[in-house]
Amino acid sequence: MLAVENLEVRYGGIMALRGVSIEVAKGETVLLVGANGAGKSSLINAVIGLVNASKGSVRFAGRDLSALSCDCRARAGIGYSPEGRRVFSTMSVKDNVLTGAHGRGKVAQREAWDWLSGIFPLLKERAAQPAGQLSGGEQQIVAFARAMSSFPDLVLLDEPFLGLAPVWIARISEAVRQMQARGTTILMTEQMARPALKLATRGYVMRGGEVRRSGTVAEIRDLALAEEYL
Amino acid sequence: MEGLVATGLIGISLGAQYALLALGFTLIFGILGVVNFAHGGFYVLGGYIAYATTTHLGAPYPVAVVIAALGTAGLGYVFERFLLERLVDDHLATLMLTLGLYLMMSSGILVVFGPESPSFEFPITGVLRGGGFYFPLQNLIVLAVCIVAIVTLYWLVYHTDFGRALRALADDRAVAAAQGLRPKLLFPLAFALATGLAGLTGALVTPILSLAPHIGDPVLATSFLIVILGGLGSVGGATVAAFIVGLIEAYSAVYLGGSKGALALFTLVLLMLVIRPSGLFGREARGA
Ligand SMILES: Nc1ncnc2c1ncn2[C@@H]1O[C@H](COP(=O)(O)OP(=O)(O)OP(=O)(O)O)[C@@H](O)[C@H]1O
Ligand SMILES: [Mg+2]
Repeated sequence: MLAVENLEVRYGGIMALRGVSIEVAKGETVLLVGANGAGKSSLINAVIGLVNASKGSVRFAGRDLSALSCDCRARAGIGYSPEGRRVFSTMSVKDNVLTGAHGRGKVAQREAWDWLSGIFPLLKERAAQPAGQLSGGEQQIVAFARAMSSFPDLVLLDEPFLGLAPVWIARISEAVRQMQARGTTILMTEQMARPALKLATRGYVMRGGEVRRSGTVAEIRDLALAEEYL
Repeated sequence: MEGLVATGLIGISLGAQYALLALGFTLIFGILGVVNFAHGGFYVLGGYIAYATTTHLGAPYPVAVVIAALGTAGLGYVFERFLLERLVDDHLATLMLTLGLYLMMSSGILVVFGPESPSFEFPITGVLRGGGFYFPLQNLIVLAVCIVAIVTLYWLVYHTDFGRALRALADDRAVAAAQGLRPKLLFPLAFALATGLAGLTGALVTPILSLAPHIGDPVLATSFLIVILGGLGSVGGATVAAFIVGLIEAYSAVYLGGSKGALALFTLVLLMLVIRPSGLFGREARGA
């Protein structure tokens, strides 16, 4: 479904990705692990189009995304939950969620809201509250729901456990399982390898802008856990 | 007593006009992060379009007002889409572009219509009198149209998909685009909405106040003042501040004299900046 080939991302003189290739097949949950600065976010952002790649290609559902703007890529069927959540802090929880379903008509929006607020009762309870007033974990749920409200084929989750207590990590994990149950394809990054490995089917261990190892969860587990403590 | 009420009513209708101008100004700042120095120019242009369509084309005044609003909105759309959009993140460039547009607009008007004020009169005259107050009919009509426009704008911004998208772009442009919102469509539309409001206000108000090529300067200054008083980027703050400024202006013009009124206003804004630097309804400044 997603094929990233030989991707290179630079920020001025800094090379954040040095020719990275990954693949995500339909229905998979693929994990990118690695320490700070490994290049995980750069890869996610290059897929959604928030940063430009200087080399390489991103193909999604048989289509070359390289020439498309960020908003076109999102509308092509990619959901995005950014690192640090970045909810629209002054907007209500419901408005945050529906932003992801913009331009799809009232019927699709109602369907998305009913589905998501059914899975996450929090959304209904806090529907009118400004999202900026929520706790970190609650905001992560909002960012998830926002990414899912367009019923995307592929969802990018950048560090969904960032700064969360174990209770919330368990809740967020449960939310990811709900998405998996729906057949959503997921590409996620995490520094906290242990809980993330429980969700993934396959993964890549990154360091210094390169893929160090790839394979099934069992195959990457040791290296992933070692990287966590670097 | 009659004078007190009448002055208050004039202040409220001034406030409604200012609100329309300031709302457009604050929307552009809040959503695009651009200070639109051409805002007063769109007000003047709206006035001249309405003047030209009634006098030279013989259109009825209400039609002329609609044409003025659509014309200024169209120009705003084209300007944003083809010029401003490319440089929207560069503050110095947007300053130069909007200032340049303003200079072009006012000198263009000067060339086409000449420096004198044309005679452009509001088609309805007369005064409404009731127990203890009087109110010129033309101000009443302007007030009514302004209030309808303000309510419509609030509805657009807070109760439609379009408004939700604009608020999302204002909050975090990159993340909003990554949710599929199209900045290349929505930014020009937001800009057009704001300039159309300025044009609408110009078409409504210049026949009552005055019409001349240079009258855009005080409009820009007042919009600025209101938006600072209300809190940069705050829609509710701009509305409240506009009515406060309108009332102060009306009362001080009657009871203090024109120049002292301006002094009173600027003193108020200075005090405001000392006591509450973020304005009446302003939030803490946010890193863009
Ligand atoms: N906007 C930027 N400007 C300059 N350098 C950047 C920028 N974003 C990232 N980098 C650099 O690129 C490299 C990769 O960063 P990236 O954010 O992709 O890593 P990451 O794996 O997501 O790290 P983290 O776990 O801390 O989120 C780092 O060296 C970082 O300093
Ligand atoms: Mg990161």
